[in-house]
Order: sequence, then C-alpha cells, then structure tokens
Amino acid sequence: MRALSASHSKPSWPGVWQAVVRRQEFGIAVILLALTIILSLQTSTFLTGTNLFNVMRASSWIAIAAFGEAIVIIAGGIDLSVGSVMALAGLVSALTLLAGWGAPLAICAGLATGVAVGFINGVFVSRGKLPSFIVTLGTLSAARGLAFGLTGGAPVRNLPDNFVHLGQSNLPLGNWEVPLPAIAMLAFAGLTALLLSRTVLGGHIYALGSDETAVWLAGINVERLKITVYTLSGVLAAAGGVLMTARLGVAAPTAAVGYELDIIAAAMVGGVSWLGGKGTVWGALLGAMTMQVLRNGLVLSGFPTYWQATAIGVIIIAAIALDRWRAGHS
Amino acid sequence: MSGLALRAVDLSKRFGNLSALEGITFTLAPGEVIGLVGRRGSGKSTLLHLLSGIHASSTGKIYVDNQRVNFTGPYQAQRLSIHLVHQEPRLVKRLDVIHNIFLGQEIGWPFGGGLPDWNRMTRRAATVLEEFDLPVGLLWEKAENLPDEQRQIVAIARVLCQPARLLLLDDPLAALSFERQRRLLDRIRGLAGQGAGVIVTGDNLKHLFAITDRILVLYEGRLVADRRTADSTPREIVEMIVGAASQEQVTPIIWALESYHAAQQQAEELRHTQATLRESLEAQDSLNRQLVERLRDQVEALDQLNVALQAAHRRLLTEREQERKHLARELHDQVIQDLLSFNYQLEEAENAEPTTERQKELAAIRSGIRQVVSELRQLCGDLRPPTIDSHGLEAAIRSHAQEWADRNGIALTLEIDPHLGRLPEAIELSVFRIVQEGLNNVRKHAAAKQVHLCVRRTPTASLLVQLTDDGKGLTQPLDLVALSARKHFGLLSISERVALLGGAMQIGSAPGGGVVLQVDIPSPSPSV
Repeated sequence: MRALSASHSKPSWPGVWQAVVRRQEFGIAVILLALTIILSLQTSTFLTGTNLFNVMRASSWIAIAAFGEAIVIIAGGIDLSVGSVMALAGLVSALTLLAGWGAPLAICAGLATGVAVGFINGVFVSRGKLPSFIVTLGTLSAARGLAFGLTGGAPVRNLPDNFVHLGQSNLPLGNWEVPLPAIAMLAFAGLTALLLSRTVLGGHIYALGSDETAVWLAGINVERLKITVYTLSGVLAAAGGVLMTARLGVAAPTAAVGYELDIIAAAMVGGVSWLGGKGTVWGALLGAMTMQVLRNGLVLSGFPTYWQATAIGVIIIAAIALDRWRAGHS
Repeated sequence: MSGLALRAVDLSKRFGNLSALEGITFTLAPGEVIGLVGRRGSGKSTLLHLLSGIHASSTGKIYVDNQRVNFTGPYQAQRLSIHLVHQEPRLVKRLDVIHNIFLGQEIGWPFGGGLPDWNRMTRRAATVLEEFDLPVGLLWEKAENLPDEQRQIVAIARVLCQPARLLLLDDPLAALSFERQRRLLDRIRGLAGQGAGVIVTGDNLKHLFAITDRILVLYEGRLVADRRTADSTPREIVEMIVGAASQEQVTPIIWALESYHAAQQQAEELRHTQATLRESLEAQDSLNRQLVERLRDQVEALDQLNVALQAAHRRLLTEREQERKHLARELHDQVIQDLLSFNYQLEEAENAEPTTERQKELAAIRSGIRQVVSELRQLCGDLRPPTIDSHGLEAAIRSHAQEWADRNGIALTLEIDPHLGRLPEAIELSVFRIVQEGLNNVRKHAAAKQVHLCVRRTPTASLLVQLTDDGKGLTQPLDLVALSARKHFGLLSISERVALLGGAMQIGSAPGGGVVLQVDIPSPSPSV
C-alpha cells in the first residue's frame, strides 16, 4: 500500500520522462522522427513545408480509416472491409452528387453507406457470434461488388467543384497553406481520441478487448457495444473514402483496393495491440504518417519502385518487433 | 429505492442431457433475506445464474413485480437492479479497481453516464473500501495484482456502490477474513432493512441463521424445503442438505461442519496472534542481538587486558632475569675477584710471616675466604647458570642436577633427550627455572630418597618436563591460592611461568607414593 500511495505523489521529471518512454506511441514517434531526419539530409526537397503537407494530405484518408480500424482492434476484433467501404462510400457520394444532391447531403449519403456496412458487420459479429475476420472478409467482397454493380465498372467523373475543393483546397493559416484533408484528419483524430479516452463508451471498448466475458458479466450490453464499434469503423472508413474521392476528383469502383492492409498496418505499427485492449488513435495517426513518409521518402531518394513494397513490409515487421521487445522489457 | 417482489415458477435448467435444476418455485418479498443451501452441485449457483440473466431457463417463468421477464444477458437483469456477486469474481485484469467497480454502471452525465464523473465514483468507492478496512490507494491498483480476498471485496463493492433492489450473493463469505465476514453480514441486514431483497448462498449455517428470514434447501436440483429460519434448526437443515433421514449419517456431518467452522474461526484468530507474536519476537530478537553485541565487546576488552597483563608479566620476568644476570656478573667479576686477590695477598703475607701460629691463622682465614668464594660461585650459578648461555639447557640442567644431588645427598637419575637442541633464550631460562624450583620443592617438602628428572621432546614438537620423586606424596589436593596465601611461592611461580609460555602443568601422585610434576611447553620453533 505504501508503494501505491507513492505512485500517486506528485510527478517528478524522471517519472514523466519514463511515462513518455513507456507509452506505446513513443517507439513509432522516434522512428518517424528518425526517418524525417534521414530523408531531409538525403534530399533537399523533403523538409519543405509543402512536402510535409503533401505527406499529411496523402496519408489523411488512410489515417482516418485507421482510426476506425484502431477502435475495432482495441475492442478485440478486426475489420477487413474498410478498403471496400472507402470505395463504396466515395462512389455513393459521387453518384448522389451527379444526381443533383448538394455536397453536404451527398457526403451524408456516403457516410450513411459506411454506417450501413459497419452495422451489418456488427450485427453478424455479435448476434451471429461469427469471427470478425470471416464477417468482414464477406463484406469486403460484397461492398466491392456493390461498387462495381452500381457503376457497371466505370469510374464516375465530373464531380462538382465545391465537393472537389474539399479535398484539394488549402486553408491559409498564418504563413502556411494547410490542406483541408490534413485538418480533417487531425479533427477526426481528436474526436476519436476523446471518444476512446474520455467517455464511458471508450472505457467499455478497451475493457471489451481485454476480457469480453468479464464485460458481459458486468452487465454491459456486449451486442450493442460491438455493433457500435463496427459502425464507428464503417463511418470513419466512409469519411476517409469521401475525402479520397474529393481529393482525386474521381470515384472509381477499383479505388482503395488493398487499402485494408495498409490501414491495419498503420494501426499496428502505431502500437495498437492485435490482441486487443491496447492502443491509441494518436498511435494510429503516427503509424499512418510513418508509412506515408516512408513511401514518399523512398520515391524522393530514388529507391527502385519495384522494391518499395518490400522495403515497407520489412519496416512494418521491424516496427512491430520493436514494440513487442519494448513490451517485454517494461 | 424499494425492493422488488420476485416470483419464480417451475424453473428448470438443463445443460445438454444433464438436468441442473428442476421445478423450482418460490417467492421473495421486498426486504426479505433468503439463504440458499445445498451440497456442491445441487444447483445453487445455477439458480442464481438464471435469476441474474447469465443463463436462460429451459422451462419456467420468472416474474419481477408481477411482470414476466425473460433475460438474455446479465445487462437485462442489471437494468432491473438485480446484481449478482459471483463465487469466483471475474474482473477485467488489465483495468484498475475503480474501473472494475463501476464497469457497466458508470456514474456521469448527461445521459446514462456518457462522460464519466470519476471524482464522484472515487468518493463512493472509497467509503465502501474503508468499510472493509482497505486503503483507498487500492482503487488504482490493477485487478490482476489483487489477492483473492481483495478481488472478492472488489466484486462486493461493485454491488454495494449501486442502488440494488435484489442482491444475489454466491458464497460471498468464503474468501473473506472473519472480521470482514461480520461487516458484510451487517451490511446485508442493513440493505434488507432498506427494502432490498437478498439471496445468499453459503456453507456456514451459523452465518445464514444469523441474517436470513427464510432458508431454501436444494437437493440434486430440486427444492426440498422452504422454511422460515425462526421455525427451523441447523440440524434439520443439514439433514435435508445431505438428503439423509438416518441419525447416524447426519450427526457426524453436523459435528464435522461445526468443527470445520470452529476451526476456521480459530485459524483466523491464530493468524492474528501469530502476527502480533512475530512482532514482539522481532523486538526481543533485536534486544538480544544488542546484548550479545555488548557482551562480545566486553569480552574482547577483557581479552586485550589479559594479553597486556601477560606481556607485562613476561617483561617483568625478562627484566628479573636480566637483573639476576647482571647481579651474577657483578658478584663474579667484582666480589669474587676481589676476594681472590685478598686471598693471594694473604698467601703472600703467610709466606712472609715467620711464625707458624700466624701462618695457621692466616691459612684458616684463607680457607674461610675460599669457602665464601665457593659459596658465591654457587650463588652466581643459581642466579644465572653460566652454562646455559654457552652450552645450552641440557648442560645447565645436568650441572645443576649433579650439584643438587651432591649437596642434598638425594639420588637423582637424569633422562635428557639427546636431540633437545637449542631453544630461544626465554624458554631455556624458564625451563631451567622450572627445574630449579621443582627440585627446590622436592628438597624442602618431599623427604625423598630417589628423584627422576626427564626432559624430552614429544612427537608434537613440544617440550615435556617430568619430575618424579618417591617422597611423602600429597596429603591433600593442591590449592595454589591457599599456598600463595601461606607465602609458598614455588609451585605458583612454576605455574605462572608455564602459563606465560602457553603450556600446561599437571601435578599428580607417582606410582611409588611420591609426586609427579609434569609440564608441557609448546615449542615456538619446531625441531627440524
């Protein structure tokens, strides 16, 4: 008990430093910083404001989807359907825009698509007691098929300007021209982080990933909780998809193919434990940015294009191994 | 919050082919405390699981306040303020105690606790922990670090921090210490007084009889009795628990149960006394250690003093020997030479003297002088055996012994180790003095005719001196202190010398009736 009261005394600076080092995000933050330094030494173009904002813009939709993925993984599941949801939501937004809906309504339609797919995932996982891997693998395929079916396989172009601006404009902040997607990414990160760390729902999500039986016995409606978790993931993936469509100016049914793996990797590189119960949104954000910096840096430094995917894979494994090693030593 | 009226009608539960409960029907009024008893596997826990929504019943109905309920999960029961404390509480290990206590029932705002109010929750949980004598700091301890008893208390605190209308307690007392059992029993009665219904299971009938209004007995999944506690006896209940009607079977069980609970209580008290005993033992131990420490210091100081004393004694002895040597040399070189020269002068005077009368007189004086010289020589020899410096211990002892035997007319046989060799001066002198004193003693007290002196090396390289006589022997045991009081210092000085050399002295009776003096002196330089 004495040790306990001591741990609640005033934080000393070494104590604060230790707490920072022990945080899961610390490792990935160090890697991101190291990569940034190496790349800015190797290339003259890397450490310019424009390029950094480009990195943020390019990683924004992956990052936003990764926030939802982080929630699902923390709750002890996995969501493979995020890439398809991104494509489908962007497509629904584009189609409703061309049908003459205003941009806000069209965006809502896109988000509603994500809610729908996420809700279906949640119902099958909780009520149907099916493994999340199987359920979301099914919706991955189903949502992609729907996207092809809605368009007949052709991309949707000629989107209205006010919608496209959302993805392509910058907001002047002082000396900087900050891209809107970057702002959106930070806003979503803040909201999701508040949800996870400051609300009862967030606490239940962490508890669910730690011990589902105990949470059920504690009188929490686990079915409703799971449906909420997958719906959140769906809506965040949809938000990423809409943003991606606005940025690219075109909604293709083939968009975001294979993104689910990038998104899961971003979350896990950011320290979200695949066993559930551990991880933060900020970790996922750092993970997504690290992956983008890596891609960007490999291109800028003239690394052979065909080998880039391999290099990224190696670094993902290294980051996760480092996280494991740290967990074993704390 | 008022309690609820519970009615169970014909409840059954089957797990596959196994029937766990069959046809359970009973009611519970608000504020009533029911004890649920039965053997292990009689269906107590299963019944509580049905009432708390963990299992759905296979058949039968549950009514709460006359409304049919059909629970599909614990959250539905808890919505009606029906709370269960499990026999083995399941906590989320990775969360701390405060999160576990309020998991699923957080206090906050605006709707149903969207944003938690941890200050309020902490205050409420702290009062419950204090009630059970646990520190408030425990609230921030991870659940996985808790011992069994504290886990049980956390599970109980989960229920006590909520307004409850029906409490289901599955053997909550088993893991608790005696004192905390009593607190919980009081608390159960208190809750019932406020209108909450309670169903509690347990093995300790004494506890159940103390707090329950009614007792339900389960036997192999069936409800075999529903008695008012006031109208029944523990014996009766035990009979129904074991399902035996015959006295012979029940009596030992009652006896065993009673002694089991008595033993439990005693064990708890013993643990208490043991703890206090250990504390006082530790205090005593440290006191003892201090005393031993001080004693050791004093013994050490004493040892040092002793060593200093011995050193002083040794120095004294050495100085005395030096003094004697000096005195002997003075006598020999000065007095004897002077006397001899007077003798020569007298001889010349004698030759020059014509009268034989005078010559005779002078001759007599000269023989007197020669006598004095010879006695002085003897004295010198005693003071400082001249042979010991030049010829060593053996020669000195031989010449002294020869001279002693001649002077006293006592037969002396000598047995001296031919390999005695030379020893350090202090030892040689001491040994010589010991021999001298020993022979002196024999001359003064023994009235012996035959003496045997033996000086030799032993196999352990020490020096052995053995003096045997055939005299009167010892009439009474030797007492050195008494001897020294009567100013007989001979044996005392021998024993002192022996002690200074680190040796040992023994005095015993010889086979022939005399005395044997044996001295053993360790040699500082072993013979090569």
